[in-house]
Amino acid sequence: MSYPVGARVRVRTGDPDHHTRMPRYVRGHTGEVVAVLGRWPLPDDRARGIDPPRVETCYAVRFSAADLWGSGDHTVTADLWESYLDRS
Amino acid sequence: MGGQTGFGPVPAGADAGPPFAADWEARVYALAAILRRRGLFNDDELRDAIERLPPQRYLAASYYERWLGALETLTAEKGVP
Repeated sequence: MSYPVGARVRVRTGDPDHHTRMPRYVRGHTGEVVAVLGRWPLPDDRARGIDPPRVETCYAVRFSAADLWGSGDHTVTADLWESYLDRS
Repeated sequence: MGGQTGFGPVPAGADAGPPFAADWEARVYALAAILRRRGLFNDDELRDAIERLPPQRYLAASYYERWLGALETLTAEKGVP
């Protein structure tokens, strides 16, 4: 599954027992793809010495701060790998 | 312990001040940079080692104290004498 700019995506939930670049504060939240950043090795694999690591498309996903934290009129943008996301 | 909320905003741009608060912080940064360049670990392994610090130490440590703790972990695990 790949996502175009403008797609609404939902970050997966769960708490893996290894390193991940999926911040806790966006898990389970829905945001909008604002840029497609190309293909990059998955940090979850690189942190564990898995060679070769999976390579996935990375997306800049924008969230409403109020959605994440209950207040704030700004947005928060996180770089998220494809396997962190589902279409919303 | 990574990705927690409640640490407040990160100063950026003109408000950020100098990059290092003390000389030892610059040395820790340089040590991490050269070990990474030599292939002892990659950036994700460094982040992982920071997050594996014991929670009490992580929460009590400054930013570069966490880097130092991670370097202690990685050099021990990878057998650097």
